[in-house]
Amino acid sequence: MSGLFRVTRRDFLRHFGVGTGALVWGCYISPKGLFAREHLPEIIHNGVPLGKNNHFVAIVPVEGTIVITTHRAEMGQGIRSSLAAVLADELEADWSRVRLRQADAESDKYGIEFPFEAKEALPFPYQETYKSKPQYLIPAEASQFTDSSRSMTAYYMPMRLFGAAVRLSFERAAAKVFGVEDASQCQARQHKVHVGGNSIDYGDPRLLFHASKLGEPQYADIGAALKKPKDWIFINAAKKPMPFDDARDMVTGKPIYGADRHLPGMLTASIERCPVANGGIKSFDAAPALAVPGVRKVLPVLPLHVAPGGVGQAFVPHAGIAVVADNTWAALQGRRALKPTIVWDLEKNPNADYDSQVFRQTLKDSTAAQGMLVRKTKADLSDADFADSANVVEAEYYVPLLAQAPMEPPVATALYKDGKIEVWSPTQNPDVAQQCVGRVLHNLPWDKDLDEKAIKHVRETVTLHMPLLGGGFGRKSKPDYIVEAAFLAMQNPGVPIRVQWTREDDIKFSYYNAASSQYLKAAVAGEKTTALLQRSAFTSFFGTLFPESRAKERAALFNGGIYPYGSAIERAQGLEDMPFEVAKLRIENCPAKNYIRIGWMRSVANIYHAFASGSFADELAEKKGEDPKDHLLDLIGNGRILPLPEEAVQEFFNNGLPVDMINLPVEGGKILPMVAGFPPDTRHLRAVVKKVAEVSDWDNKVKQYKGTRRGLGIAAHRSFLSYVATVIDVSLNDANELTINDVYTVVDCGLAVNPDRVEAQMEGAVIYGLSLALFGEITVKNGAVEQNNFDDYPVLRIHQTPKNISVTILEVDKETPPTGIGEVGVPTVAPALANAIVAAGGPRIRELPIRKTLQVL
Amino acid sequence: MSIFQLHVNGRLHTVDIDGNMPLLWALRDILGLRGTKFGCGVAQCGACTVHLDGRAVRSCSVDVGVACLSRITTIEGLSSDGSHPCQKAWVELGVPQCGFCQPGQIMSAAALLKANPNPSDEDIDGAMRGNICRCGTYPRIRAAIHKAAGSKS
Repeated sequence: MSGLFRVTRRDFLRHFGVGTGALVWGCYISPKGLFAREHLPEIIHNGVPLGKNNHFVAIVPVEGTIVITTHRAEMGQGIRSSLAAVLADELEADWSRVRLRQADAESDKYGIEFPFEAKEALPFPYQETYKSKPQYLIPAEASQFTDSSRSMTAYYMPMRLFGAAVRLSFERAAAKVFGVEDASQCQARQHKVHVGGNSIDYGDPRLLFHASKLGEPQYADIGAALKKPKDWIFINAAKKPMPFDDARDMVTGKPIYGADRHLPGMLTASIERCPVANGGIKSFDAAPALAVPGVRKVLPVLPLHVAPGGVGQAFVPHAGIAVVADNTWAALQGRRALKPTIVWDLEKNPNADYDSQVFRQTLKDSTAAQGMLVRKTKADLSDADFADSANVVEAEYYVPLLAQAPMEPPVATALYKDGKIEVWSPTQNPDVAQQCVGRVLHNLPWDKDLDEKAIKHVRETVTLHMPLLGGGFGRKSKPDYIVEAAFLAMQNPGVPIRVQWTREDDIKFSYYNAASSQYLKAAVAGEKTTALLQRSAFTSFFGTLFPESRAKERAALFNGGIYPYGSAIERAQGLEDMPFEVAKLRIENCPAKNYIRIGWMRSVANIYHAFASGSFADELAEKKGEDPKDHLLDLIGNGRILPLPEEAVQEFFNNGLPVDMINLPVEGGKILPMVAGFPPDTRHLRAVVKKVAEVSDWDNKVKQYKGTRRGLGIAAHRSFLSYVATVIDVSLNDANELTINDVYTVVDCGLAVNPDRVEAQMEGAVIYGLSLALFGEITVKNGAVEQNNFDDYPVLRIHQTPKNISVTILEVDKETPPTGIGEVGVPTVAPALANAIVAAGGPRIRELPIRKTLQVL
Repeated sequence: MSIFQLHVNGRLHTVDIDGNMPLLWALRDILGLRGTKFGCGVAQCGACTVHLDGRAVRSCSVDVGVACLSRITTIEGLSSDGSHPCQKAWVELGVPQCGFCQPGQIMSAAALLKANPNPSDEDIDGAMRGNICRCGTYPRIRAAIHKAAGSKS
């Protein structure tokens, strides 16, 4: 069987506008190649079904332009150019002749199937998620879901394989053109195939003619044709820095973002929303708004049969009334006139009593009682372990609700015409957005997953274009703003409607990162920590995304998403995999209910789990009188793969990737090493701690700062399969005002495919982490968020940014698969900073944000 | 509604709009110049920064009725081809991440360099503190301003 085939789909050609003369290559991407690395040649020998039409590359004949489809959402991570450059590297394409095509929502094209029918159940996480046939390594619905720092981890090998496959077919075609028997005499270099003294351009019709006639290379050959690291050009910036094609458009103000799309006859809507989740509209008066020049219509967003969204209603928007106008300013003026006339319906709504300060106590109380067991050592804890109070350390930590605040507030434009909807909107989650719009268009239920037939129909009738995201940070994983645009478009056939959120809308109607209370208690004996208890209470996003009636169903899917407890995803973010080696360990998850929309923000539950464990390690060092860095290494232990299965963690989520390498039994009794494992291995954590101590000159500075008002703090954490350690250097003045001098951060992210963007992400993550640690806090009264804009929800500014943010990427073997980057730099920042403040003679901070305790200079 | 003449990027535009409309929305919605971005609407973030007679201002907080008295420069008018020293330095140092705030950052930086061709870190902090970047590109913005200053002198 072959791995490459020709497709002639007219709609595809139309979409990227190269005309129907183009030769389009589709490629089935072997999941065997996805993570297999050294095993690739043997496993690809087994023959692979073609699978579905995956469209990643096309070539324009004569002109020879190579069009590479980039299917993930670009929100600052540089993935558009990076993934395409990986493919171009293997393809030996001349980057100056490569054009990027941004995919629409078309997730069915980018899923990655298992090539074999598994004879046995696949291990977690595949067994439940992918039990239906065909089995997927990356299911269609996840293929474009740009979230969990997974783009490069998932698509690095597919892009390489595909590039190599097309190059190989060009080399073979060149052999035909020049009448050479042995195609290995033909070598592709930078858009040409060289054969002896001759060469032929990739755009040459003779080459394309033969390539299409020849059929496709076998996977065995593709695997063998993968470039060796010494021949890489862009990968790992081996010879050239990776391209960043969007940078020029960004600095010249090109209209590349969501709100920049202008359509003829377009109207702009601004929506006044019910401040409380699941609230309704009692009454309003449209007249004052309609009196504003330029205002065309005043419309409730939700039709009567759709219950307002919020808690347990997934992506149904809050109840709201839209002012639709000729331009943004008129819409905003109309909204101002409308607002005083609205009476919201808050009757029998428990969310209307939600007060975040009261709830803080509720969370704390929740951790006072025994919770659901998450993990425990064979030797369980008992009260006797903590009997000697002189040797017990206990602490509570609190992290408030947080809003992502991406630079571009949510925006969506939708056009309803001829029974179809076309949407232009920045989203991290195009597939789910498309399905939500389909629910609006076809009046499908919101409390059930759509079946295959419905999804197919939705894909045929909803087109969703993806402009660049002006930041995402998890906010734009939730398509409520796109649903609003779809509802309004349905009420205005033939008229494009742009829903423009204000910053106030963004701050008040986020899907917030959960508030969390953490309780930790340890017994120490000399230098040893003999027993450790951790209790974590946070509101799970599952209570927001799914009605309680569906909790059981979702629990089956994600192991333990049982309302009101955390899901497996959240528990695997620094709770289950808490890295410290203690003889007696017990970790519990305590319940917390939902009264506001909870979602996720860059690094999610790692934020509060790392703040607690990272701070507590430092408190233990303080108690024992040890150096915090030496103590951290002691507490991590000699290094090990965390023995989670033996410690009651049956199905560790691990960012959706397997802990152990999967050996898959297939036809003929063969066992194939299918997928690389990504175990939580504290040897990597030790390595980044040691490295950060070295680059920060920890030992010398600790001595030097002793007795001064300057100090260093350290923290380390694994998230999204990567390992990070951070040291922060701070000073306090006589008034206890805080200055952050330096930040040193070290990351082990496997192979750094694009080292410059890895550094950029880490720099940005430090600043994102400082923002939340110093300033981040959303509070709620009577169910309504109290903050409005950047004046009362401040984020870090340039004058508050440390002069030195040093990023070190740990060197690894070049065959190591890449792991997460986008979020991984955030979790260590808050605990390292809090620990540094103590080292500088300041107070122990157990509650974020720090500005509640200290003035920040 | 009233008639205003707006001098934008060396061209004169005649518009019939509400004089209280902020310049930002006139640029984006009426004149179709969408390089100037909406980030907060209350002069807190700087994404909408443009030049009025060479000074950096937040276009979300200047009414058309006031802006019409000055010569307006937007990111589209800073250079015709991305060749302003700031734009070049921004690309060379890979400053942007999501890029949304960068037109505003560059307009603030360009105004700074015009007034102060060799700014110190403190000068940069002072001039750029009104521009938020949520991706956290501040270290590279500082470096790019120094680089642009060097290439000018």
